[in-house]
Amino acid sequence: MKLWAFLRSLASALFHRSRAEGEMDEELRSHIQRRADDLQESGMSRAEAERLAKVEFGGYQKFKEECREERGGFWIETVWTDIRFALRMLRKSPGFAAVAILTLALGIGANTAIFSVVNAVLLRPLPYPYANRLAMIWSTWGKETRGPASGPELIELRNRSRAFEEIAGIWVTSGTITGTAEPEQVRLALTTANFLPMLAEKLQLGRFFAPGEDRRGAPPLLILTDGLWRRQFGANPGIVGQTARLNGNNFTIVGVLPRDFKLLFPDSRMADVQVFIPFLDDLEKNTRDTGYIRMVGRLRRGVTVAQAQSEADSIASQLRGEAKEYAEQSLHLSVLSLQEDDVRSVQPALVSLFAAVVLVLLVTCANLANLLLSRSGSRRHETALRAAMGAERRRIIRQLLTENIFLGCLGGIAALGIGWVALKWILSLQPEGIYLLLAAKLDGWVLAFTLVLSILTGVLFGLAPALSVARGDLLEILKESGKATTGKSWLRQLLIVSEVSLGCILLVGTGLMIRTFTSLLRVDPGFHPQNVLTFQLSFSGSRYGTVESLTNFLKELRTNLSAMPGTQSVGGVSHLPLDEGLGNWYSYYWPEGAPVQQQNTVMADHRSTLPGYFRSIGSTLLAGREFEDTDDASHTHVAIVDDTLAEQTWPGQDAIGKKLSVEDSPTGPFQFERESVVVIGVVKHIQAHSLTSKGRGQIYLPVPLAPRPVYSLVVQTTAPMQTFAAYVQQAVKKLDKDMPVSNLRPQMDYVKKARAQTRFVTLLAGALATLALFLACIGIYGVTSYSVAQRNREIAIRIVVGANSADVGRMVLRQSGLPVVVGVVVGLAMAALLTPLLSGLLFGVHPIDPLTYAEISLVLAAVGVLACYIPARRATKVDPITALRAE
Amino acid sequence: MTGQAQLLPGTLDLLILKAVSLGPLHGYGVLLRIEQISRGALLVEQGALYPALYRLVRQGLLKASWGTSDNNRRAKFYELTAAGRKRLRQEADGWNRLVAAIASALGAQPEEI
Repeated sequence: MKLWAFLRSLASALFHRSRAEGEMDEELRSHIQRRADDLQESGMSRAEAERLAKVEFGGYQKFKEECREERGGFWIETVWTDIRFALRMLRKSPGFAAVAILTLALGIGANTAIFSVVNAVLLRPLPYPYANRLAMIWSTWGKETRGPASGPELIELRNRSRAFEEIAGIWVTSGTITGTAEPEQVRLALTTANFLPMLAEKLQLGRFFAPGEDRRGAPPLLILTDGLWRRQFGANPGIVGQTARLNGNNFTIVGVLPRDFKLLFPDSRMADVQVFIPFLDDLEKNTRDTGYIRMVGRLRRGVTVAQAQSEADSIASQLRGEAKEYAEQSLHLSVLSLQEDDVRSVQPALVSLFAAVVLVLLVTCANLANLLLSRSGSRRHETALRAAMGAERRRIIRQLLTENIFLGCLGGIAALGIGWVALKWILSLQPEGIYLLLAAKLDGWVLAFTLVLSILTGVLFGLAPALSVARGDLLEILKESGKATTGKSWLRQLLIVSEVSLGCILLVGTGLMIRTFTSLLRVDPGFHPQNVLTFQLSFSGSRYGTVESLTNFLKELRTNLSAMPGTQSVGGVSHLPLDEGLGNWYSYYWPEGAPVQQQNTVMADHRSTLPGYFRSIGSTLLAGREFEDTDDASHTHVAIVDDTLAEQTWPGQDAIGKKLSVEDSPTGPFQFERESVVVIGVVKHIQAHSLTSKGRGQIYLPVPLAPRPVYSLVVQTTAPMQTFAAYVQQAVKKLDKDMPVSNLRPQMDYVKKARAQTRFVTLLAGALATLALFLACIGIYGVTSYSVAQRNREIAIRIVVGANSADVGRMVLRQSGLPVVVGVVVGLAMAALLTPLLSGLLFGVHPIDPLTYAEISLVLAAVGVLACYIPARRATKVDPITALRAE
Repeated sequence: MTGQAQLLPGTLDLLILKAVSLGPLHGYGVLLRIEQISRGALLVEQGALYPALYRLVRQGLLKASWGTSDNNRRAKFYELTAAGRKRLRQEADGWNRLVAAIASALGAQPEEI
């Protein structure tokens, strides 16, 4: 039907029903009137004429009904009739209906669930005003891309840029806030005044920071998130203007953020920021070579990211020419759309999963097409009969398609249930890296997607069977008189081949993910997290303003914890390995006496370390000794380095006793001084940021030389978590009643978190591959059983003429097994083309890993043959007498 | 009624097409025209005319429009479309062949076998 005619008849059917009805009535009545006029002229009375005219016309209502049926736009009623017919057909074969709807529900439901994730993470714009114009601006430090910017860099860029309407900065740290509840350690963000207005339309209460309120000497102000406002301040609506204590200082609360506000930045720790304060510093007066600020900008309307990038390139080159610090760090700036940058790490995983789930849908379609073809024997007879009675071929195809689309929609409805359950499961896996995922839900878009998918599926799996049923010689089909036919067997074989090969691709992909995960489990990260419990303390504030107060507190706490039953060793460090909760601390170092051009070239992670740390975390001391309490400013300044750094700096030499120039002694906020330290120990490299990459070399300094605002205590203990937690709370409280303890957890948690995304993808891929395998088995089983049933007579004859049951079984296995084997071969070839696309997700395994490929083909072939075996066995049990008599 | 023949199934559409091909007509007009051109020999059940007309409109063989009849009554007029004209030719040919075949079959004499 032409689109226009279709729409017109739809419109007239829907909107002009009553008008068309009226016109029809008028037309029929005027006929009777005219007839009566003519009869009256021939000499009858008017009443007599009208009566006769009505009689001659015949059954008025009956003809009107017939007219209604013949009128255009009647197709809606046709569809309705077809659906009722489809329902009757399904009720007649409930087994078929159940299998079909269940298959569809699984196939479409998996798609619904994965799509709701993809929709939430990749498709939906970020919940910020002009979200598509927001961009991250990263600073490049030598080889380090995606680095933070220094204060002067931000100000220079802001002054010079014309591509950006606004450029804001944020630095995330942690602090202790005291409201009306217990003191709480919170993630704290220092921002420029324009940061929050860029990301929130308006506040729930109060106001944003005003321009100029982020300068040095401005009054200390504070904006709260909704969560903290409820927790610490009892959701007090009169909170604005009141004072809160943050790190021991008084801040005036000026605003509360909206309830749904969340910082969705590439850096996942930003998502938990609960307190915002202005920088309260003149950023342009910071040192140029201390980067700590994340920059985000809003592009001017109509400016593209590429244009902004080329502007940033030229500004960076100007800056390199103007200041030696920028030249030394070889400053570059890179501009990336915030949305793209946010999903950078998860996009490949989600795209792969989405591709996988589409494959599952194709398997589903192939399976249903097969199922329908099995039924087509009986349906052919029925449709041929209808054709013989005058139904048009187009009409029959339409009826069959309507039936299949209706079936698809029934499956789609059930799929929503399955999708809902699957989404619940996906969310329960809590892949912490994918924080946008939490917004995934079955919204309108997902419903629309499911509906479209159901209809498409119905057409896709229904078209071939519908055409095949509606085709063919009427007479031939009727002569077969209901006998099922063996025709179309090549189509069924082809469907099996495609099902098996699609399933094979999924299984290979899953196999590779499983290998990646087991490689991750085997990684030696340089420490042993077993029996290691940790917690975090924040020391910002006036009480710990001096190095002595800090070291004394830590020393006493260490003594207390050592006294706890079960404790084997106590230590501490400024950054726990694999804890991405704090901003990393890294800068240039060089061996003392290095020529100027070698300075400022290599960076190392700098860690402030308590005595006993390496023993507690289970690291290996390769040479020298650990820190002791006497390693402070008044003795020789010492450091411990890891083997990566030692090998890089002094290849083939003993590192002990060598001198390094490091930059870690704070002389003010974001101001550091270089100093010379002597290496007293070498430890094995600890993978601090990821299980899959080594990362930079590490320099460990004792606490008195490099005091930090946050420390994590590391305790190797046999005590259970509960006991430990209670003891720690009490021990800390005894030293400082206002000191909150946070992140009390086993070190293993951080390791698990580092594996979380791989685990997530592996589990999902595993579920999808299992589903595909299951569907393919049903398909293989169905086709084999059907062909055995078809060939009962032939098998019976073979047995009569002397074939034994083993021969028969082999024959069936050979014939049904062939498409499985072909499918496996095709699937392996396709997988070899596709799996290299997954390489970004893989670790410790080649995308074309021969072992995985071999295993998968064996598993698939075995399962496929098993699915053939059961019906093949049935073939061997054919009783020739019964089979032949049945004909 | 005597002297009138019942319509064979499927012939009503052909008759309507023929009637309308001689000029636009309203429904009652179609009835009269069929009686006229068949010289009153064919009996059309009056009500059955309308489902057939609606069907032919839907198939695009006829088009309908409202107008005023001779006695100033509003009426729906049917006329033939190009497709309708073509169909009429085909159906008429088919019918003529059938009639000729049946006639020759019925006219067969024993000696011709």
